[in-house]
Amino acid sequence: MKVALFSPMPPERSGIADYSALLLPALQARCEVAVVKRAARKPPRGTDLCVYHIGNNPEAHGWIVEALRRTPGVVVLHDFVLHHLVAGLTIGRRDGHGYLDAMEREGGVVGRLLGHAVLDKRIPPLWENRPEDFHLAGEVLGLATGLIVHSRYVEDRAHAAGYDGPVWTVPHPAFPVPDLQPADVAGEPLLATFGNVNTSKRIPQLLEAFARVRRRNEASGLLLVGATSPGFDLDRRLQRLGLDGAGLVREGYVDERRLWQLMIAADVHVSLRSPTMGETSGTAIRALSLGKPLIVSDVGWFAELPDDVALKVPVDEQEVETLTAALELLATRPDVRDAMGSAARSLAEREHDLGRVADLYVAAFELAAGGGAVSDSVLREVSEAGAGIGITAGSAEAQEIAARLAEADLGG
Amino acid sequence: MRIAVVRPQVPFARGGAEIFSDALVEELQARGHEADSVTVPFKWYPGARVLTQAFLWRLLDLTEADGKRIDMVVATKFPSYLVRHPEKRVWLVHQFRQAYELDRTDLGQFGESPEDRAIRRQVQQLDRIGLGEATRLFATSQNVAGRLERATGLVAEVLPHPAQELSYRNDGSGDFLLSVNRLDRAKRIDLLLEAAAAEPSLRVVVAGDGPDRPRLEQLVRDHGLDGRVRFAGRVPADELATLYATCFATYYAPIDEDFGLGPYESFLSGKPVITATDAGGPLEVVRDGTTGRVVPPVASAVASAAVWLREHSSEAAAFGRAGNAIAISVTWDRAIGRLLS
Repeated sequence: MKVALFSPMPPERSGIADYSALLLPALQARCEVAVVKRAARKPPRGTDLCVYHIGNNPEAHGWIVEALRRTPGVVVLHDFVLHHLVAGLTIGRRDGHGYLDAMEREGGVVGRLLGHAVLDKRIPPLWENRPEDFHLAGEVLGLATGLIVHSRYVEDRAHAAGYDGPVWTVPHPAFPVPDLQPADVAGEPLLATFGNVNTSKRIPQLLEAFARVRRRNEASGLLLVGATSPGFDLDRRLQRLGLDGAGLVREGYVDERRLWQLMIAADVHVSLRSPTMGETSGTAIRALSLGKPLIVSDVGWFAELPDDVALKVPVDEQEVETLTAALELLATRPDVRDAMGSAARSLAEREHDLGRVADLYVAAFELAAGGGAVSDSVLREVSEAGAGIGITAGSAEAQEIAARLAEADLGG
Repeated sequence: MRIAVVRPQVPFARGGAEIFSDALVEELQARGHEADSVTVPFKWYPGARVLTQAFLWRLLDLTEADGKRIDMVVATKFPSYLVRHPEKRVWLVHQFRQAYELDRTDLGQFGESPEDRAIRRQVQQLDRIGLGEATRLFATSQNVAGRLERATGLVAEVLPHPAQELSYRNDGSGDFLLSVNRLDRAKRIDLLLEAAAAEPSLRVVVAGDGPDRPRLEQLVRDHGLDGRVRFAGRVPADELATLYATCFATYYAPIDEDFGLGPYESFLSGKPVITATDAGGPLEVVRDGTTGRVVPPVASAVASAAVWLREHSSEAAAFGRAGNAIAISVTWDRAIGRLLS
C-alpha cells in the first residue's frame, strides 16, 4: 500500500514538522510512505492513500489544504480550530469573499456580518480574540475521508461540527530523550514553561501565581522559554502586576539541544492553555518522557491527561488561586513530584511509544484505504442474503441487521 | 446453570478446538449443568467472507431457547465470541491467527491490496469488540494470552484445559516416535519426516489427517522412507491410547502453537515430548532435560533428540514422569470451577 504524506517537514520550524520527522521512519518501517514535496498539488502515481497533516498555521499548511481540495484523503487534525489557517488562505490572499463564505458556512448570516466587520477593521481579527467561537474547520472536515486526531476532545468537536466519517484517535508519539546534562539554571525548585510567551499560554496568570509562591519560597525559580509573541510585552505585564521579576529566568527561542537541557533542569513543567485550538502540546509530551510532573489547564487535550501525571487548573475566576496551590504543592513536596514523574514516564512508555503510535497510524491507513470497499462488500453480501429471504429495506429486520452491522463496525 | 458452549464449525474438519469444546459440554453436564453445544459453519475466504461469516454470530439471540433463559455462553474461538449475551465468558483457544502473527508469512491469508489489509484490520476490530464484551476472559495458555494482550490490549487469565479422555497408560518404551496432530503445514510434520530422512534408524508413526497429507506422503516417497514412516490417519480412541502407550517419545513442534494438547496427552502416557524452540504454547510445559527435549527447528536436531531419548530410556522415563505430574494437575474440576466463578 502506497501512502503519500503531505506535511511540513524540517527545516521548517513547526511542531508538526518535528512531529512528522519523528514519526516518518517508524511509518516507513511498516508501509510504503512517500513525503510529498512542499507545494506539490498531486500525490505521486500509484498512491493508494493521501494523508494530510493540518494545523492552524497558514504558512505551513496552506499548500496542504490546496492539495486536499484536489484529492480528498485522511486528515491528521493537529488543531481543531482552523480560523487562522482559513484567514490566511482567504484574507491573506486578498480573497475577502472566501473568508465571508467560510464565516457564513459556519456562523450563518451573523457569521458573514462579523466577517464583514473584520474585513472593514471594525472589530479585531476573530482568529486572535474569538477563534474558539468560529473554528472554520468545516471545509477541511468536509474533504476528509477519515480523521486522525490526538484527543477525544477533537473527536467530539469534529462530530459536533457534523463530521460523520471514520475517526482514529492516535496519541502523540514520545520523543526519544537525549542523553544530556541539565542546564545550569537557578531555582530550588525550578518551575518552567516552554513555548511562545503570550496570553493564551496564561503567562500573566502564571507570573502572578509564581509571585505568590515566591513570597513563601524565596529559593524557587520560574523559567520562561520561548519567543515572545508580537504584542505581548513581558516587562509591562510584570509592571502591571506589580511584580519585580525576582526569580524569573528568561530564555528566548532555543535550539532542540538547549530545549532538552532546560527541560531536564526543570523540576516542574507548567503547560497552560486557553483558549485551546484542540492542539496537543509537544513540550508536554517531552515532559512525560522525561518523567516530570505537569501542571496544565483543564481544557481540551490537556484535560484528558491522567490525574496521576498532571495537576489540572480550571480556567475560571479562581485560576490564579488554583494555580498557586498547584505550584506550591509541587514546590514543597518532592515526594509528590517523584510519584507524578514516575507515572508520567510510565504513561509515555505505555501510551506514547513511537512503535505503538506508528502501528495505530498504519492500522488507520489500512482501514482508510480499503475499508470503504470492504464495507461495501460486506453490506452487499448481507443485503443480498436478506433480500433472498424477503427482508426488504426499511423493515424491522433490516433495521436490526443494520444496527448489528454498525455495532460490529462493519458499516450499516 | 443453563450454559451454551459456542464454537464455529468447519464442516468435515475436527481438531483440538472441537475436541476441547465437546469435552467442555460433557464435563459441564457431568457437573449437573444443562449444557449444549451451539455451532455455526465458518468459511473464512475469499475476500471479505471472513467478516460476513463472523457477522452471523452477531445476529444470533442466545439469551433464551425454547422460552427458557440461557444463563451463560462460553465462547472458545473466532468468530464465536462475537455472539451477544449479558453473561459471555470467553475461554480463548485462539484468535483468527491469519490476521495476527501469521500475517505476511507462508501461512497468512491477506495480501498487500488495500482491501486485504482493511479486512485484516476489521478482523482485529471485531476481536476488540467481541472479546471486549466478555464478562470474563480466559486463555488456554500464556502464549495465547500474550498474543491477545499484544494485539488488543485485553488481559486474559491463563486457564489450561485437560486433554481428551483416553485410557492413558504406559506399556513401556517401543521403537517408534509418535506424532499426533492435524496434518497441516503449521503443524510442521515435514520437519519430522526430514528428521527421519536424516536418521536411518528412526521409525515414525504419524497419526491424524488433514490437507497437508498428500504433500507429506510425497515427501516420504521422495526420501524413500516407506517402511519407516507409517501414516495411521485418524485413529479410534483405543488405538490412539495404545500408540501413546507404546511409543518411546512423541514429536509435537507446530509453529507458535496456541496451547498444544499433544504434550499433555503424551505426558498422561508417561512419554517425553520433542518440541522446537519456536513452538509457542508447548514450551510452557515441555522443558528441555526435564519433561522432554526442546531443539531448534531443524531436522538434524530433531533426529538427534529422538535418538537420544530412544537410547536413554531411563532418562526418557523420568522426563515422562515429570511431565505426568504437570498433566495430572490440570483437571476439569479446577478448570470449570474457575470458568464459572
